[in-house]
Amino acid sequence: MTPTLHPSGNVLLAERISKRYQKPSRGDIVVIRSPENPNKTPIKRVVGIEGDCISFVIDPVTSDIYQTIVVPKGHVFVQGDYTHNSRDSRNFGPVPYGLIQGRVLWRV
Amino acid sequence: MASLSSSFWNTASREAMKSGVFIAKLYCFLHVTTNYLGFMAYAYGPSMIPTLHPSGNVLLAERISKRYQKPSRGDIVVIRSPENPNKTPIKRVVGIEGDCISFVIDPVKSDESETIVVPKGHVFVQGDYTHNSRDSRNFGPVPYGLIQGRVLWRVWPFQDFGPLGPTPT
Repeated sequence: MTPTLHPSGNVLLAERISKRYQKPSRGDIVVIRSPENPNKTPIKRVVGIEGDCISFVIDPVTSDIYQTIVVPKGHVFVQGDYTHNSRDSRNFGPVPYGLIQGRVLWRV
Repeated sequence: MASLSSSFWNTASREAMKSGVFIAKLYCFLHVTTNYLGFMAYAYGPSMIPTLHPSGNVLLAERISKRYQKPSRGDIVVIRSPENPNKTPIKRVVGIEGDCISFVIDPVKSDESETIVVPKGHVFVQGDYTHNSRDSRNFGPVPYGLIQGRVLWRVWPFQDFGPLGPTPT
């Protein structure tokens, strides 16, 4: 999440209240439970909400090919700010709302 | 009219504090139990016939096993729906990660089937009554993180009080 978050470590404050009453919006930084490994909780930015048509470069390091998907209902498309080195929805697909743990508010 | 003496209010406030502390302790106990140990679930709907009654069952689900081991085939699990995070459907785990699952997409309409490999970190859930069930055939394999707990026991209706196991009863 360079340059937003330092690669060497940040302490963040996240809140769980907004996810009960409203859907996440584009641009929020969220803590999610990884669909690949439930013991990990990556922190990524919401780039697309349900219904959005997202075009993304699949792997900027290796090539320029891109893919376009429509985010299904009940899901968000998350992406790290540093797309060259981030495992996010370009790898594991859109993330359902139920896997969002909280929204990051503050860097402590 | 005689006014209430200050000692009345002293004892009243002390009693109120004791009840408040008791209620706080009870709330904490219930919160920890339902979020970390086990919870009751009310299940209704036709998707798990004949295992669960369509008109309603009260089930006991536990949250401990999902911390230490992966779900196994045949478990009945409570999941948070990938389509709507406010719903928690109850389905059976039919395939775990790596399994190659063949399923009939819509038994009501046609016989066409589809075969998928369950991706790593996901389970394929399906209702026992496939003719009327929204499950992984519709919303795809479910990641482990969406599993809320494993159903152990049916509490109500009382004539079916007993464990709910891996094979459809």
